[in-house]
Amino acid sequence: MSAPTIWIIVPMLIAVLLLAVSSPRVLSLVGGSIAVVLALLAEFIPIEQALTIGAFSIKIDSSLSILGRVLLLRPEEGSLLAMIYGAAALWFFGTEAARTKARLVPLGLIITALMVASIAVEPFLFAALFIEMAILLSIPLLTSLYKAPSRGVIRFLIYQTLAMPFILLSGWLLEGVEASPGDLALAAQSASMLGLGFAFLLAIFPLYNWIPMLMEEVSPFTVGFLLWILPTSTLIFGTGFLDQYSWLRSSPQLKIALQSAGTLMLVTGGLWAAFQRHIGRIMAYGAIAETGFALLALSLDARLGIPILFILIPARALGLAVWSLALTVIKENAESMRFSSVRGILRTLPFASVGVILASFSTAGFPLLAGFPARLALWDGLARVSIGSALWMGLGLIGLLISSFRMLAVFSMADEYTGWEVREDWIQGIMLGLAMIGLMILGLFPQFVQYLLPNLPAMFERLGQ
Amino acid sequence: MFIFITAGLLLLTAIVLLVLRFTSPDFRYAWLIAAGGGLLAWISVFIWQTGIPAIVQFPLWQPEALFRQSPLFVVDGIAWTFALSLTTLCLAVIVTAVARPNFPYSLSWIGILILTALGVLAVTADNPLTLVLLWAAIDLGELVAQLRLVEGPKMSERVVIAFGSRATGILILLWANMVSASNGFEMDFLSAPPQAGLYLILAAGLRLGVLPLHLPYASESSIRRGFGTGLRMVSAGSSLVLLARIPSGSVESPLTPFLTIFVSFAALYAGWMWLRSPDELSGRPYWVLGFGSLAVSAALRANPIGATAWSSALILSGGALFLASAQNKWVSRALYFGAWGISALPFSLTATGWVNERQSLWFAIPLLLLAQAMLVAGFIRQNQRASRATFEDQPIWAKNVYPIGIAFLLMTIFILGFFGWDGTLKLGNWLAALIASLLTFGLLWLTPRLRLLNPVRAHWVRPSTSSWLDLSYRSLWDLYRALGRISNTFSNVIEGESGVMWTLLFLALFITIFIQRTP
Repeated sequence: MSAPTIWIIVPMLIAVLLLAVSSPRVLSLVGGSIAVVLALLAEFIPIEQALTIGAFSIKIDSSLSILGRVLLLRPEEGSLLAMIYGAAALWFFGTEAARTKARLVPLGLIITALMVASIAVEPFLFAALFIEMAILLSIPLLTSLYKAPSRGVIRFLIYQTLAMPFILLSGWLLEGVEASPGDLALAAQSASMLGLGFAFLLAIFPLYNWIPMLMEEVSPFTVGFLLWILPTSTLIFGTGFLDQYSWLRSSPQLKIALQSAGTLMLVTGGLWAAFQRHIGRIMAYGAIAETGFALLALSLDARLGIPILFILIPARALGLAVWSLALTVIKENAESMRFSSVRGILRTLPFASVGVILASFSTAGFPLLAGFPARLALWDGLARVSIGSALWMGLGLIGLLISSFRMLAVFSMADEYTGWEVREDWIQGIMLGLAMIGLMILGLFPQFVQYLLPNLPAMFERLGQ
Repeated sequence: MFIFITAGLLLLTAIVLLVLRFTSPDFRYAWLIAAGGGLLAWISVFIWQTGIPAIVQFPLWQPEALFRQSPLFVVDGIAWTFALSLTTLCLAVIVTAVARPNFPYSLSWIGILILTALGVLAVTADNPLTLVLLWAAIDLGELVAQLRLVEGPKMSERVVIAFGSRATGILILLWANMVSASNGFEMDFLSAPPQAGLYLILAAGLRLGVLPLHLPYASESSIRRGFGTGLRMVSAGSSLVLLARIPSGSVESPLTPFLTIFVSFAALYAGWMWLRSPDELSGRPYWVLGFGSLAVSAALRANPIGATAWSSALILSGGALFLASAQNKWVSRALYFGAWGISALPFSLTATGWVNERQSLWFAIPLLLLAQAMLVAGFIRQNQRASRATFEDQPIWAKNVYPIGIAFLLMTIFILGFFGWDGTLKLGNWLAALIASLLTFGLLWLTPRLRLLNPVRAHWVRPSTSSWLDLSYRSLWDLYRALGRISNTFSNVIEGESGVMWTLLFLALFITIFIQRTP
């Protein structure tokens, strides 16, 4: 048995079987449980080490060869797999509460497995193909057979697909750079291609306009899942690139590019969020800012930046899960997600309203919530490098906070003597309640995540040292 | 460890009350449990004196390479003074609850017990991270309580704005941390670098409504007297403790004189409004603003002990006045002791209030003295008013128990003048105190003689503040809307039919700019 079989092929096979199941509750429970089991296995079963249980001895190989290509999941990547499948479980369990399309579970499981494959595949060139497959598979989640695809979906497909040729082209050029390291022009060309590819994949400013459009047009829960899995896996994949090429890693331009892109994402995400009057679009800009935080982390000294990148991941997963589930509940109960339609809903949908507020505050780095420790560490790290960058980050945070306050004000502005009631059903209440407690626990005790962290930087042989 | 005993007692009592509220709603001794818990917590604060100074470390935030600070608490004279003030107020709120029309109402006792526990932890915070976490907890608690209590969109909006202004204080405190980091310092309260000192004052000032001048709760009479008083005072106390923690060398800046002038005018404005407020509850925001300004000015004059003194006076004397809701001639007479507490006369709680470590800021002292005189005169005038409720409907035991709550506050004012911290048994700047006292008597003498000094009628007090403030905030709002229109236009362009082309154009533009910037 090999690790890629367990964490890539088996989930895909199970997902194909699950496509035949029609009950949303069964899908949610089975899909969520499988994801949890995969996460637990990843965390507790060591790769490339013999595990003896009585007379039996099992050893999980780290690689699997398919058609001359290798899928390689190293022992240090166990915690990352645990995080990815653990976060996927949040969405799969939430499907029932969100009353969203049941096919999110099987398709989501396949997308997750494909994104894991994109991190695992060697040569890395093939990662672009896995990512493209995942993007194509996400289209059925975002569209319906009975309706023409919306503009947001088309734009999502265009921008994400445009990434593939750039990455493939950069891979081809990089081979040339390896053959003749002194050719600076070739290196510059390959870096530009690579940068453009990742700019499309990560939806770097100004290529992110599909995100708010999707949030307006499609179920927030589904978009939330995509906004978690696609950028997270891409970031890990991209960091692998940096790790692999020393000329790229040591380039001063790269640091500047990462810092500029991260700052632009954060500041524009924060400021745009502050002016929105649609709660779905605010989440979109929050997710954009999240990617900005990750890019800023990568722009720091790797010894500091890589651990920050990894502590950003659980907070992002939990925050987006709560936010997207809560928005879905609100969308189900309100006319639209515009401010005029959700005024005063704190008194009728308290769990969903508080969920949206806490998740948005967490993204803005409000103390006590999951996003705070990572943002504090990032802000501190940036301030030590340049107070100007820290100031820009502060501006982005202010924008995100303003959007949170505006939502809070709108949600709480009920007419006089409106009674308090709970319109969410018990599953929604429990799911949102537990997730909100999770946000608080991660915010107060970030050392809980530390359990997952120690080995993760070792994934990157050179950056993580 | 004593910190956690006090906070634990308060939280445990709150939990017991909460459980009782759900399991036996008709339980008759809930008030006794609340008062017992409050009393034990109050006594436990005195036990802190046996182990001062002490430091208590919470589990470290890990990885330590990323988190240079972890929650850390300190017990020293300043923390003890604040903690005693807050627990006394909590006890007084619960004890005087017997005189409230809604007695028994355990939810408000649960609220005040939890808030006080958080307040006690906040005043013992030894680094900005700990304080930020506790400020956030207090703010969220206050937000929830307020949103449950207020009715109508306007009031809800005000609650959120108040929450926003306090959250901005949190952000500024974090920014002070970043400024320290950029200069290579680890910021703690013992060694805040000069570049960060003013940000600390700004953070506390913003949470109190002093810098820039604003009233988070201009109209709050709808909030109950007991719980509302606790809410205001715990929030103010947890913010004021920051002023007492700022090292004197950290506020030396060219901006300090300007801030001092600004704070003096804020104090004058608050004193004037307090003096003319129709009743003590309508004037409560000005009381907090006025004493907050005096505390900020003390911090700017490098006098953290003075800042502690003004802060404790705000909580204790203010608490006594605001909780005294029922007519009782002994209580009215005893409340004059509260006026002594805020007089800055020798051996009083505020005796250190006018100690001036930074002589260069002398020019603000006359304005601040006048402000103090107006605050004291207002206190005496509010105490003399005859519009309090009577005890006619109360049972005999309530008549006897209610004054004990006020007595706890007054007794603590006395204790803090003589025992337990660096501000005890001090002569202080007796000349300044004497001038303030003379001014106070002058104002009291003039009040019935000058129409200008008469209290305004309740309906004349507008919920919003003065017009120039309205104008400046409206300008900010207009700017915000203008920026919003620009952002919407940009979004419409890149999300419209031709959006892909526009996006690629912007991309090319940014790449060009980036290439030109890089070496």
